[in-house]
Amino acid sequence: MRPFTYTRAKDATSASKLLTGNPNAKFLAGGTNLLDLMKEDVERPSTLIDISELGLSDIKTISSGTNKGGISIGGLGKNTDAANHPLIRQNYPLLTQAILAGASGQIRNMATNGGNLLQRTRCPYFYEVAMPCNKREPGTGCGAKEGINRMHAIFGWSEKCVAVYPSDMAIALAALDAVVNVRNASGQERSISMADFHRLPGDQPEKDTILTHGELITSIELPRNNFADKSYYVKVRDRASYAFALVSVAAALETSGNKIVQARIAMGGVAHKPWRALKAEQLLVGKEATEANFKLAASAEMADAKPLEHNAFKVELGNRSIVLALQMAMNGGKA
Amino acid sequence: MFIGPDDHERPNPFYTMDEHESPDLTEDEKRLFADLMPEDLNEILDTGVNRRHFLKLMTLAGGGILAAQSAVAEQLIARPLSETIPTELVPASIENGVNVSLKVNGTARKLAVDSRMTLLDTLRERLDLTGSKKGCDHGQCGACTVIVNGHRVLSCLTLAASCEGKTVQTIEGLAQGSQLHPMQESFLKHDGFQCGFCTPGQICSAVALLDEAKKGHASYVTENVRQSAGPAKLSNEEIRERMSGNICRCGAYPNIVAAIQEVHSGKPVEQVFRSV
Amino acid sequence: MKEKDKVVGTPISRIDGIAKVTGKAPYSMDHPVKNPAYAILFKSTIAAGTIQDINTAAAEKAPGVLAVITHKNVLKLNVKGGLRGGALLQSPEVDFFGQNIGIVVAETFEQARYASRLVSVTYDKKEPKVNFDKVADQARLPKDKEKADAERGDAKAALSQATIKVEEVYETPIEHHHPLEPHAAIAEWDGDKVTLYSSAQIVNGAQSAAAATLNLKPEQVRIVSPYIGGGFGSKGGQWANLALTAVAAKQVNRPVKLALTRQQMVNSVGMRQHNRQKISLAATADGKLTALAHEIVTHCAINDEFVEPCGDCSKIMYETPNSLITYRVVPMNLILPTYTRGPGKSTGSFALESAMDELAYKLKMDPIELRIKNEPERDPSNGKPWSSRTTVQCLREGAKAFGWDKRKPEPRQNSQGNYWIGYGVSAGTYPAHQRPTSALVKLKRTGDNVTATVELAAADLGTGTYTILTQTAADALGLSIQQINMKIGDSDLPPAAGAVGSVGAASYANAVNDACQKITDELVAKSGKQFFARPTAAQLMRSEKLTEYQTRVDSKAPESAEEYSAHSFNANFAEVAVNKSTGMIRVNRFLAVTGAGQILNPKTARSQIIGGNVWGIGMALTEESVVDPRWGNFVTRSFADYHVPSNLDIGNLDAIFINEKDEHVNSLGVKGIGEVGIVAVAAAVANAVFNATGKRVRDLPITPDKVL
Repeated sequence: MRPFTYTRAKDATSASKLLTGNPNAKFLAGGTNLLDLMKEDVERPSTLIDISELGLSDIKTISSGTNKGGISIGGLGKNTDAANHPLIRQNYPLLTQAILAGASGQIRNMATNGGNLLQRTRCPYFYEVAMPCNKREPGTGCGAKEGINRMHAIFGWSEKCVAVYPSDMAIALAALDAVVNVRNASGQERSISMADFHRLPGDQPEKDTILTHGELITSIELPRNNFADKSYYVKVRDRASYAFALVSVAAALETSGNKIVQARIAMGGVAHKPWRALKAEQLLVGKEATEANFKLAASAEMADAKPLEHNAFKVELGNRSIVLALQMAMNGGKA
Repeated sequence: MFIGPDDHERPNPFYTMDEHESPDLTEDEKRLFADLMPEDLNEILDTGVNRRHFLKLMTLAGGGILAAQSAVAEQLIARPLSETIPTELVPASIENGVNVSLKVNGTARKLAVDSRMTLLDTLRERLDLTGSKKGCDHGQCGACTVIVNGHRVLSCLTLAASCEGKTVQTIEGLAQGSQLHPMQESFLKHDGFQCGFCTPGQICSAVALLDEAKKGHASYVTENVRQSAGPAKLSNEEIRERMSGNICRCGAYPNIVAAIQEVHSGKPVEQVFRSV
Repeated sequence: MKEKDKVVGTPISRIDGIAKVTGKAPYSMDHPVKNPAYAILFKSTIAAGTIQDINTAAAEKAPGVLAVITHKNVLKLNVKGGLRGGALLQSPEVDFFGQNIGIVVAETFEQARYASRLVSVTYDKKEPKVNFDKVADQARLPKDKEKADAERGDAKAALSQATIKVEEVYETPIEHHHPLEPHAAIAEWDGDKVTLYSSAQIVNGAQSAAAATLNLKPEQVRIVSPYIGGGFGSKGGQWANLALTAVAAKQVNRPVKLALTRQQMVNSVGMRQHNRQKISLAATADGKLTALAHEIVTHCAINDEFVEPCGDCSKIMYETPNSLITYRVVPMNLILPTYTRGPGKSTGSFALESAMDELAYKLKMDPIELRIKNEPERDPSNGKPWSSRTTVQCLREGAKAFGWDKRKPEPRQNSQGNYWIGYGVSAGTYPAHQRPTSALVKLKRTGDNVTATVELAAADLGTGTYTILTQTAADALGLSIQQINMKIGDSDLPPAAGAVGSVGAASYANAVNDACQKITDELVAKSGKQFFARPTAAQLMRSEKLTEYQTRVDSKAPESAEEYSAHSFNANFAEVAVNKSTGMIRVNRFLAVTGAGQILNPKTARSQIIGGNVWGIGMALTEESVVDPRWGNFVTRSFADYHVPSNLDIGNLDAIFINEKDEHVNSLGVKGIGEVGIVAVAAAVANAVFNATGKRVRDLPITPDKVL
């Protein structure tokens, strides 16, 4: 870990100003990913601006604007608090499930909601500085593409990067059409849809999101929806708990009788960002909620997958997981 | 089949004594010791035991031997809650020093730390609290789990600098004087460990977990997370999931679950030792 | 002593338990030393070649740095001193990725870690041999004579003539021990003597290897290792870090603390090697084995050999007229493999016991009956009688307790909701030995109170050594456990065997018992009296009004033990649930039935067995160290990538011991349980997965993708 100066921020605006003035400064919130990467010498900030005591942790019903009636979750609130808040458990159980599928009790007590969105990939070539990695050090090559890539992307990867984004929480947020509110040093705010927040690697895999330096995630908004009765998060992993997803699926349905009115499906462990299964969603709308239709939708989505040498299984696993998540959603979470 | 007794034997505490340190018991301590174990006092003084070991000895003796002597023992063992230990000596080569005041196991501590220093290394290398363990240093094993402001967290991924004004409880702070915390007793009884290296983290995690259950927190294996909160009665499966952030390489998991379930439910969990 | 007062065989809680639950038990890095400096290793980033240049200038100038030690300025060490794995900085040669190439010592841990990142190295690279698939055909006969081809009859001929046979290849991956306490040491010099606070499964072995490596006499090195945060074989033989800590302390003239990082564990302290095992079984229609061939191909270090004995179970488990066991090994640019829990037997039994299951399925026979049908009367490998053998009892009792009769012989017949349920069985074994061990007993009397201090350089790595020896001494001396002060884990104490290879309990407990019997004999003789019944040492101390008395014994196995083949045996029963959609597997229930002679403490013994089962479940389902086939680095270098089982992975585990009295193995009839607990566990799980799904997975671990 490189030497760095540590500053406790007094408020959000001054925190952003401190950061903007120094290209090598970083915000410190929960620290669960940042400190891990600093110890690996992957992240090398010269200044840490501790924003963990700034508040910005409220969870409340939105009283005006486009998302009126939805819920706003503070960017600096803890994952544990978000997962267990009655408003979220009752109205967005998919988000609760996804958060609780990630990491461990201790880490969820530390990790913030904004920080969760900014988790970096767990690609082992990214983590070990002796390895080539375009995300960590642009121009050095991708160690994984021709290497060990069992855990890697099957959608949207580029020649430069085949890494996947590791969050569970964000997969549910993507399915729930969340909006991320950010504020910069001049106090300007903007709202970014989850679909746009994370990037595909393309030619710049070093950029995970569209945030600019100095922007701070103040809150995440969930629009009101009718998915609470029929949603489910499936996570497939190499051990039962405390492991990153091979494939995960957040599915939410709104039905009328047995007819699907709206469908939301997002996948984790398959791409550089939460992967919205838009093809599958479109195929489901207006259809009966049957296993046959679920399978058709899933295979339509997975048909576009481009697996690497070691992860072809993710195509079949993705298929099955979409179907399972939809079935579980229909059954109110019971297999 | 043999059903084991609910054993509460106390081992001889002496086995942990190091015998290469010079004696420096205070007179009070000698007197207390004489009261407790008159026959052994001379041996102990002869072989050499300093105050640090005396205190260790006292704590190790646990509930049995010291219970009756609690008045004097408490004075010696427990640090007064309000006491502020003066600012620690600053190592010559602290870089980007940050002053931190925090409360550790009831004692206010002030110290200057390198900005890079984790809470774990601060506890272990600066405050002589080596109970919290470094199993991976990357938040992947749970051996460093401590309780900060009532929540279980990983001290290896917590900067000491960020602990200003916080309250930290470590494994060393769980026992009340010589009386083990019920979770410690239960781990002992159910053999919730083998090598013992993950144990401080497991126990801190388990203690905080029960508070989370009281608050009605849900987990990944909770069948219906929409059901309204209220104190949660944890199944063994719930305990397993909630303890999955604490790796035990020796594989004591079933015993750990039994130990936690016993404290959580308040009912003895039967120990069965089978032979045919 | 009356039987009912005896504590041996009762489930008392661990003697060292309070120290462990209060965080006061000192592990290697917990020992207080004055003014320590902190060291960190840095490692090669190629797998084969020579260091051309190593630039340490920036590191040396970094704040707080006291020394940077490389092959250019390191003390001359004896590379043949007995530490495993080389990597002692004695030459610029690089033999594997992540080999130690230097040490940074600094005032603080933070400074040492940072400075280690400032060292730059250039190499002359060679093409590394790091892809097992590519080099397996270059494997040759091991140098180790134990691994010579072992043939009885003509297995190949019998196989070629057989009509009913199983011929399959089973693969087990590289695994890492990953004890939760990373290898670490604190070195403190006093003149020309050094104390190493460390973690040693073999205290005296660590002492002699460290001394020889440092060109010192053994008495100049003291190993202090009262608590060991897990070892599983990786802390049996010691590795470079132990001597390098002493080197660093010498260089900076201060105590030095050096712990491996978790990421460094993958290429510092050995591993279990990748084994490619071909099993060929031939049988008659009624299930009599006519041939058993077990052919093993594996890898070792480029300049040192270790081959785990995967063929051991195949040698002795079943009666067959034609048997063949062969080993071939290819040197690779990977760290030296070493003993890993249940060395050879755990991995070899996966192959053998999977094949037996395949054969049973082919024969439409119950796999338990197939095993019992081939039960050998004597050790088939050497003709010796068994000291005792409990395989049949383990299988029969286990079947009863587990509800084996509910198993459906055909796969995919047991469905519960979205899960396939399957049952699997396996049998295993591990040899029992008593190794030379000395013990010193010191008795002391104050008034009527007699206390004993028992000293031996034994090790307790969670195995229960403190506890079982306290129980043994208490019974043998006529004292309560509270009156026993058990001192182990220090090379200043009388020399003892290691806590390795399941020899710990037998070696230590017999030595302690022998010492207690000897001290009683001596006290009887000293009293000059004759007694109707043998008095206890405690009674004699009181009756003879002695205040202090001590004696020492050098104990070893009875010579008659050699006449028998002595082993622990087990049978394992697994029930798995396999998610039909995702392929995720959960071991719902697991039962291990073990015959291991006298059980000294049912509580710690049960924990040992359960722990071995968890290891076996990890081997079956989650654990795999993956090497990049181009560069030779482990891509699974953290606990996020290398999956040891988590709490949720483990269902209900149950252990049953066979009440047996082995009269031959040693005088206490103790056989050892640390290793046998993992043996054949993976096979039971894999067999259950087959029974659940119809998928026969022959390459571990059985991750979800393999059963889709």
